[in-house]
Amino acid sequence: MSITNTQRKASRSATGVAAMTLALSACGAGGGGAEGDAFEGEHEGEELNILLNASHEGAGDWLAEQFEEETGVTVNVTTVPYDEIASQLTLDQQSGANVYDVSAPWYVSLGDLAADGSIQPITEFVEDTPEIDVDDFIPTIWEPYAYVDDEIYGLPFDGDIHALFYNTEILERNGFDEPPATWEEYAQQVQTITENESSDGIYGAAVFGEQSPLILGASFANRLAGYGGEFLDENGNPVINSPEAVASLEALEEIWNYALPTPAETDFGAGNSAWFAGNVAFIENWTDLGVRSQDPDSGSEVVDQWGVTYLPRESEGEDPRASLVAGFSWVVAGNTDNADLAQQFIAWAASTEVNSALLTALPPTGIDPNRLSSLEDQTYASDFPELQEVNESTLHGALAWPTGPNATEAAQILTDELAAYLSGQRDSAQETLDTVQSEWERLLVD
Amino acid sequence: MSTDTLQRAEAAVAPPEAPEKSQTFRRRPRISERFHHRLFIAPSVLVLLVLAAYPLVFIASAALTQSSLGNPFQEFVGTENFQTALTSSAVQNSLTLGTGYAFGVAAASTALGTATALALWRSLRAGAFVRTVLLLPMIVPPVIVGILWSFIFSPSGGLLDTLIRRFTPGSGTYAILSDTTWAIFGVALADVWEWTPLVVLLVFTALLSQDPEITEAAQLDGASGFQLFRHITLPMVAGTIVAAFLIRLILAFKVFDLVYVMTSGGPGSSTQVPAYLIWRSALQNFDVGIAATITLLLAVVVTVVTIPIFLITKRLRDD
Repeated sequence: MSITNTQRKASRSATGVAAMTLALSACGAGGGGAEGDAFEGEHEGEELNILLNASHEGAGDWLAEQFEEETGVTVNVTTVPYDEIASQLTLDQQSGANVYDVSAPWYVSLGDLAADGSIQPITEFVEDTPEIDVDDFIPTIWEPYAYVDDEIYGLPFDGDIHALFYNTEILERNGFDEPPATWEEYAQQVQTITENESSDGIYGAAVFGEQSPLILGASFANRLAGYGGEFLDENGNPVINSPEAVASLEALEEIWNYALPTPAETDFGAGNSAWFAGNVAFIENWTDLGVRSQDPDSGSEVVDQWGVTYLPRESEGEDPRASLVAGFSWVVAGNTDNADLAQQFIAWAASTEVNSALLTALPPTGIDPNRLSSLEDQTYASDFPELQEVNESTLHGALAWPTGPNATEAAQILTDELAAYLSGQRDSAQETLDTVQSEWERLLVD
Repeated sequence: MSTDTLQRAEAAVAPPEAPEKSQTFRRRPRISERFHHRLFIAPSVLVLLVLAAYPLVFIASAALTQSSLGNPFQEFVGTENFQTALTSSAVQNSLTLGTGYAFGVAAASTALGTATALALWRSLRAGAFVRTVLLLPMIVPPVIVGILWSFIFSPSGGLLDTLIRRFTPGSGTYAILSDTTWAIFGVALADVWEWTPLVVLLVFTALLSQDPEITEAAQLDGASGFQLFRHITLPMVAGTIVAAFLIRLILAFKVFDLVYVMTSGGPGSSTQVPAYLIWRSALQNFDVGIAATITLLLAVVVTVVTIPIFLITKRLRDD
């Protein structure tokens, strides 16, 4: 990468301001009536409280600053751990405190939040606001991130998918010219590197294995996508004990003992720290990791020593397939008094211009593309062509988690059983996933 | 309040110096007096209602209904939640684990705490500084204790790992918190470290309040060393030790923060104690009905196992 970080920052700052002006002008001009009034000064001096997960703190600050600059609305950002955002929002709404107007929970929790009335439908707003341009959202992301049954509750914010990052120096030292194309090759490379270098504190991979749906569940979902499996069939019935799912769990088990010790305790902090310190050869992570890997100010010691590729598949030559492991949607709180302003904010925050600016902002914001247009953004393409290429795998056939009522509990049950199997508390992968299948049928079908 | 009322109140609490006053004390309070009595105890009753009765009614109601986090009491389901919880292996295992954990941790804390208190009592010259340092773990917030012990047990450069690697080069990685057998012991160690000072404090105070004349008399009769401890000191502080065990037992039944920080209930379900399961059911799975049911079941278990200890404490104190 030839340009310096300082140049990049200056360039992005200017681009960001220009983009904001364009985005706000578009919303203001096209929205007409109530839709555009946030940008015509009607809300000036008002406050908007948004609840985000802690990894979006940088993005939250960036959004708050830009929105206030353009509209005069003060945006107060509260962050909580990623696995507490849905419960915090629900408690806030159910208790009558109603502090939050807007939030961005994991898309899997939309069904439960909607069932409890913690978020409100925005179908009418979206249909009456053509500037939102729903056709521009990445199609495989749009439906799971937005819908609960036939109602729209969310707008895609952070289109998270995992990619396979690799440390080029470690691979080279161990005689690997290319990153793996299949999960089998991946396991072989991880095992070789760990056997060669673990005595020096270098391991084949950091595997996210902490017992959380967004962590261990994500590691499993990556493999399920690679083996061509699904969580649900086309009729919405669970197929979590399919041969593909069993193969995915066994593939995860295969590298468990060769990963950074120990996967069961590896969360984002531990895994990312090992990656930035150059102590692991591979890490499955969100594509924004590349932006931070290239930023020494973020503590990266692997600047210009990394590469990124698609997640492996079952067989070589298969098309890459993305796994929508995380992903967050903008929602409007169920009992907010600022529904109009909240809707204006989420429409703005989900716009092409904002998403494009967040993709390459420094310090890194942790945001991935949510729209076709931002995926094709020129700055993103020129600064991070590999990330852009990998993110294009979201365009077709991406694997999404179940959504709808009880989906959160379903994800937790799967994660608990995966952890039980990987820690030796279950006899076989098939038996483990049969248990999950039975529970999922009770929760998601009955 | 009128002067007349004040005078009557004074009369009621005054010592029965004369027969007339004693008869006045025994007479049935008049309506206005009863009203004032009730008025005075009303705040206490109100506090009890708010702090005890309301949560209990809420939990019982949630347990008998289909209740989610944002929408409680949706539909009366009778004992369905109890049937689900009682037939769930996760709940059964959690209650069993929680009971075993509580007894183990309480016993370890009580033994260590008593020994430490005795050592402190024997060497009173150690001074306030040492006693303050010994109490520090109890002052540290539990979340920090969890983080601290996670670092100690970390298989990637943790204190334990570093020491093992230093003294036994080439040995494997010891990941206590990732081991289904040892993880609960890792949490228990942190728990014992954190709360043993409470036992030290209670037993040490009891030791200080001993009547020195009894000890001196026993020494004059020839008692010394272990004999003195076994027959004089221990009986005098036994009630406090059992009471400390009881407090520690109840605290251990409620452990949540250490599990949350150190293991997230894992690996698998090996550290899924009842409080963690309740939290997960309510705040992760949004199923407040099941969470309330497990809470009631836990309350029953705690009551059943603590009643005998209450009785022992009472008997020792009476003796």
